[in-house]
Amino acid sequence: MKSLIENRFGLLALVLVALGALYGVAYASRPAPVVHTPPKPVRALMESLTTVCPSPGGSRVSVVTPPGAQGQGSATVGEIKEAPAPGEGAPPQDPPGKDAPQKGAPQKGVPQKGAKKGAADKAEKPPTALEQPGVLWQQDMKAGTAPLAVAGTGSMAAGLEAAQTARLDAGSQRGLASTRCVEPGADAWFVGPGPAAAAMTLYLTNADSAPANVEVMIYAGEGPVLSDRGSGMVLQPGEHRTVKLSDLAPSPLVMAVEVSTSGGRVAAAIKAVLGKDKGVDWLPVAAPPSTQVVVPGIPGMAGLRELYVTAPGEQDTVVQVKAVLKDGSYALKNKETVDVLAGSTSTFDLSTGIGGQPAAIVLTSDVPIIAGMKITGTGLSQDVAFTAGASPIDLGSVVADNRVTRKQESRLVLSAPSAEATLKVQLVPKRGAVPEPVEVKVPAARTKEIKLAAPPGGESGFSVVIQPQPGSGPVYGGRVLIEDTPSGQLITVQPLAPATIWALVPPTADSPSAVLP
Amino acid sequence: MQSVTAIVVAHDGARWLKETLAAVRRQTRPLDRVVGVDNGSRDGGGQMLTEAFGAGNVLTMPRSTGFGEAVHEVLDRLPRAQGHEPHVDEWVWLLHDDCAPDPQALQALLWAADQDPGAAILGPKLLDWLDRRSLLEIGVTVSRSGMRDTGLEPREYDQGQHDGEGLRDVLSVSTAGMLIRRDVWDQLSGLDPELPLFRDDLDLCWRARAAGHRVVNVTEAVAWHAEAATRRRRRLSVSNEHPRRLDRRNALLVIMANLPLWALMRSIFRNIFGSVFRTVLFLVAKQPANALDEMAALASVIGRPGRLMRARRRRRQWRKQGYPSVARLLTPSGAAFRRLADMVQSFIAGAGPVDSAGRHHAAAETDEEDGEELLSDSGLMQRMFTSPGVLLCLVLLAVTLAAERSLLYGGLLGGGSLVPITGGASDLWRLYTESHHVTGLGSDTWAPPYVALLALVSTIFLGKTWLAVSVLLLGCVPLAGFSAYAATKKMISYTPARVWLAATYALLPVATGVIASGRLGTAIVFVLLPVYAALATRIVAGSRRAAWGFGLLLAVGTAFVPLLYVLVAILGALAAVSFAGVRKGVGVALAIGLGTPIVLLFPWLGRLVQDPGRILLESGLHDIALTDPRLGAENLLMLSPGGPGTPPIWVTAGLVAVALAALLVRRHQMVVAIGWGVMLFGVLVAIVVGRLTVHGVPVWPGVPLAFAATGLLVAAARPARWIGEFAATGRLRRVAAGLIVVVAFATPLAAAAVWVRSGAEEPLQRGVRDPMPLLAAVGSAKGQGTLVLRPRDGVVTYSVLRGGAPLIGESDLESPEDASQRFGTAVAGLASGRGGTYAQTLAQYGVQFVSVPGPVEASLHRTLDSEPALVRMSLSAAGGLWRLAQPAPAPPPPSGGDSMHRIWLWAQATILLVILILASPGARTAEAEEQYADVPQEEPRGRRRAGEDRVPV
Repeated sequence: MKSLIENRFGLLALVLVALGALYGVAYASRPAPVVHTPPKPVRALMESLTTVCPSPGGSRVSVVTPPGAQGQGSATVGEIKEAPAPGEGAPPQDPPGKDAPQKGAPQKGVPQKGAKKGAADKAEKPPTALEQPGVLWQQDMKAGTAPLAVAGTGSMAAGLEAAQTARLDAGSQRGLASTRCVEPGADAWFVGPGPAAAAMTLYLTNADSAPANVEVMIYAGEGPVLSDRGSGMVLQPGEHRTVKLSDLAPSPLVMAVEVSTSGGRVAAAIKAVLGKDKGVDWLPVAAPPSTQVVVPGIPGMAGLRELYVTAPGEQDTVVQVKAVLKDGSYALKNKETVDVLAGSTSTFDLSTGIGGQPAAIVLTSDVPIIAGMKITGTGLSQDVAFTAGASPIDLGSVVADNRVTRKQESRLVLSAPSAEATLKVQLVPKRGAVPEPVEVKVPAARTKEIKLAAPPGGESGFSVVIQPQPGSGPVYGGRVLIEDTPSGQLITVQPLAPATIWALVPPTADSPSAVLP
Repeated sequence: MQSVTAIVVAHDGARWLKETLAAVRRQTRPLDRVVGVDNGSRDGGGQMLTEAFGAGNVLTMPRSTGFGEAVHEVLDRLPRAQGHEPHVDEWVWLLHDDCAPDPQALQALLWAADQDPGAAILGPKLLDWLDRRSLLEIGVTVSRSGMRDTGLEPREYDQGQHDGEGLRDVLSVSTAGMLIRRDVWDQLSGLDPELPLFRDDLDLCWRARAAGHRVVNVTEAVAWHAEAATRRRRRLSVSNEHPRRLDRRNALLVIMANLPLWALMRSIFRNIFGSVFRTVLFLVAKQPANALDEMAALASVIGRPGRLMRARRRRRQWRKQGYPSVARLLTPSGAAFRRLADMVQSFIAGAGPVDSAGRHHAAAETDEEDGEELLSDSGLMQRMFTSPGVLLCLVLLAVTLAAERSLLYGGLLGGGSLVPITGGASDLWRLYTESHHVTGLGSDTWAPPYVALLALVSTIFLGKTWLAVSVLLLGCVPLAGFSAYAATKKMISYTPARVWLAATYALLPVATGVIASGRLGTAIVFVLLPVYAALATRIVAGSRRAAWGFGLLLAVGTAFVPLLYVLVAILGALAAVSFAGVRKGVGVALAIGLGTPIVLLFPWLGRLVQDPGRILLESGLHDIALTDPRLGAENLLMLSPGGPGTPPIWVTAGLVAVALAALLVRRHQMVVAIGWGVMLFGVLVAIVVGRLTVHGVPVWPGVPLAFAATGLLVAAARPARWIGEFAATGRLRRVAAGLIVVVAFATPLAAAAVWVRSGAEEPLQRGVRDPMPLLAAVGSAKGQGTLVLRPRDGVVTYSVLRGGAPLIGESDLESPEDASQRFGTAVAGLASGRGGTYAQTLAQYGVQFVSVPGPVEASLHRTLDSEPALVRMSLSAAGGLWRLAQPAPAPPPPSGGDSMHRIWLWAQATILLVILILASPGARTAEAEEQYADVPQEEPRGRRRAGEDRVPV
């Protein structure tokens, strides 16, 4: 020991040994690399939801909340009045004694009282109250009914879905015309024929308690239509208004419409009336501009298929077009790519390419685009239907109004453009027990058309709840309603919208670092 | 015809008496009579008197007799002079045993008495006994508050500048050498026996003046006076009290007894306020004994009104009508302010407010060590630009400016662990002192102590927090270089080695990492670390004052980086084991150094201990991206703490290599071994700490590695002087020495080059956008909040701002658990778009606006747009802003303050003040010098010892 200290190299040796030991400790204690997985958002049931049916007069309004939600909750269906009376309580028609057995009853043995009573109420001044998830509520509305607000809270909000469907077999508005009742928002896109080709009417409703300042922007075939008439519309709380789009832009044959608010929210819908024996339908809300758009829900039947593509930005673009069909995904002959000028809407006939097959169209572009499609039925007197770019239904989808009768049929057109998907399809009849869901597999890059059969108790109408199973790729789809009449097919299409059953609750962190970029 | 009787009063003054008696005997004007009084001397003084004057002429009195009493006793027994002429002027010459008159003194005094028959009291010019040319008195006056005033500069030399003025009218002359006419003595009944010592002369002369006599100082007459009693050269038997207190009490008594009534009233007030003021000054100057004496003297005068009344009654006769002639000679009132200015000046100069006018001595207090390095030359410019320390700092500053080119100006500074710096010093003070914080969701936690420190620094920087933070954080490299250079002066005598050490230290990977990641706390600790080391060497030498300073600075560092305290405490314990037994006072000094931070930071440390993991974290934001949880073993051994801003590991290879080579040098082996010990200890702590994760954040081992680097640098730099000797011994060795130097300097040069090349920014940056949108700032009332949402890596981070960006300390406040949980749920619900009443919950907390800094995710803005309770106000690339449709009044603050907090703040301020006084250079040693002037100072001896081969920490 002493010699070690006295040796010139003794201290160096000691230090080197210590350093070696420290290196060893540090090396051994080095943790394995951890892959940082960002925390996933949690699915949570919706707590409240309001949708607006733009023009229910003369239509059948269907409201449903998928079965399964637990706990308290209620939904109301009521006309939107301009000066909303505050503090309107439960409808007085509801004898309180009847609620108790309903709540105590098991989910499946649903009594018909709620629906029946609702039908009897005829949506008079006090809003109709719905208490039971998993029961379809339908009612034919009198002409001249103001827009309806369908508001759900608690268990009745989870997936609350409403739609209005009008059917006329004669007259200038002959045809099936249906639309989802949409949530008010700050921005909505539509694409379809222009005022020169059809009578286009914009329905605006402000269901909120704050005024909405609405602007309408039109992208015609020649470019954006500059008009000051479309801006600065102020809708007071509870106000609804119809705007003839020909007043804003009389000439376009095709167009995209952007309804946005600079303050407040508005529920917007556009109805296209093509004229006698040419058909009528509502334009569905298109997915907001994106570089990839999927237009789903093209039914497998004969007829014209006309694609609308709009590039609302300031850059011309070349859009790649692919069709996802029954047996695979193809680029369409002679329509591999289409050119769209900046700020304008173009239209392309894809009838031959699709050839009457059930399909979805996948459009890819360098700049954000929106897209839609006009589907024309066959027959002497034609009817049209519109579909538009849609979002994948990762969180499921609900279609409120489906009908299967001798003449009417409902089909689901489901597409999985990128990866295989497994879906559970559940039918919710108007009355009676809810049958077990059916599993449907959609192979990758395929489209599948399913004809729906009416469940017991669903002869006069039923709803469909579609739930992708875990591990599925993105699924797009549409519901097609066809009625054969002697003069020709009546048709309407509703692209599947993501259900509002779930919301993704992101993880949050109270952190002062939020102020830093 | 004149007859002069000399009275020499002796009391334990044999040291001086011999010379005094010789001087008396040598007078050119022979004395008619001499009388000696021995006040019970125990050192043979009585014997000497007897030998000199003969037994018949010596009177022996008890020890407790005062000077005045003794003279009275003599004159009572002494018959009047019987001359053959009818009119005999009989004079009494009073002499102390420590006062040796010049041979011509008496002659000059009598000549002066002849000049003016009105002159009844005459005194010589008094010079210092030891320093024979130093002036003590040429007459004394007094201020209305009892301050003695000689009218001389401290330690003024007698160059005849006051001579030739003939008879100087003065208020009083000292009894040492006082020549007084006997009839006047009798008329005034002589010295007041109530004043056995001090100010008896003043009292007598005042009364003489008031009675219409002249009091004259004769500069031609010279006497040397040792002032033995005032300077405590001999024990006082007259009174048990300290001469200082006695002097002060007598001064007050004389003033109050002699002033006429109306002047007395003013004087009482003046003295009470003056005494309190002086007491405070004495306390500040760390002279508690002086302060006590001051108060005690005042109390003993005021507290015994009977004595004062008696004294006043005795002086009633001429007091009022004689006052104008006295008032003329009192110190003018303006002099008090001059005296105060002198005090402040001398205190700043480090002497403490010593009574410069009254007491002085030749004891030279020169601290030639301070700043000698920087101030060695004459011209300022030359001095600046030839000092290696200044040059080093300039070079480091240039390197820093080049590396931080993108951080120097622009908008807000922030990023990493630094919130954007907004607000000023007053905001920080408010944050520190308020007991309920409105910020965020409201918080009742006491603000962390570093907020007070930043507030203090900001106050120094004219209230500009951004400037303070910029200087401390961005200037951390030159500051660290300066502190390392200055602190190693005692440790390393070889200047090139110090320059190398300072440059290498300042450019360590820790420093660049600190700046890049905005770690303000570690930056401050990094600058302070060399100071700790320097103070620690003095602590292990037993210096108490260094210990107080160390404790204070350690508290500063601990407030920012609590881990520092743990490290220092471990090393302190080791030092205690090895040094406490060796040197006296080391244990106490260590206890002071380590105990001070605990006392100063007590409640905050208490909270920290409850959550021990937080000891490892530092002030500021904690971000996972700022640390490398898988730091390699080689990085740790190369002193690289990982995270942003750290250079490649080879940069420090030169340092480690040189330090290893230093192990082979046989000289200074102790320092090298201790340096390496600290290095190994630091690295070990860094390894342990760096592998831990606290609250999901890996710990950054910056401070332990800075510790390690300090040890390593001292180990490498200490034997550097040997390089020169080594090189001189042969050609091969010269090459080897050159190689070592090149390797050593490679480290700072490479570090600087890498730093300049890569730049200092990221994640710290200039121009951070103010998180508070202008629209929201304008639109929200006081106390209303703005919720900032920022989705990051799948997590929605949020923060509630109240009227502005968060202040720098607010991130460490904690909100009530239930409130933050509820609010977090509401934010999640709002961001999910699931509807519900979440917006109402936000409104309950006073949140009126929701802001999403750009670029806003489309899904988030759609979600917020579809929320009925929110109204969009703006949306652009810069961000989106929504307003709650319903008004959200600010939540009312809880009623009632936290009295505990207020008490603690006062206590903390008091403790801090006391520690500051104890730590600052003050009059402790100055007083010691004054009283025991021949005892050498303590301080340098300690330093000299510390300078030897001793611990570098």
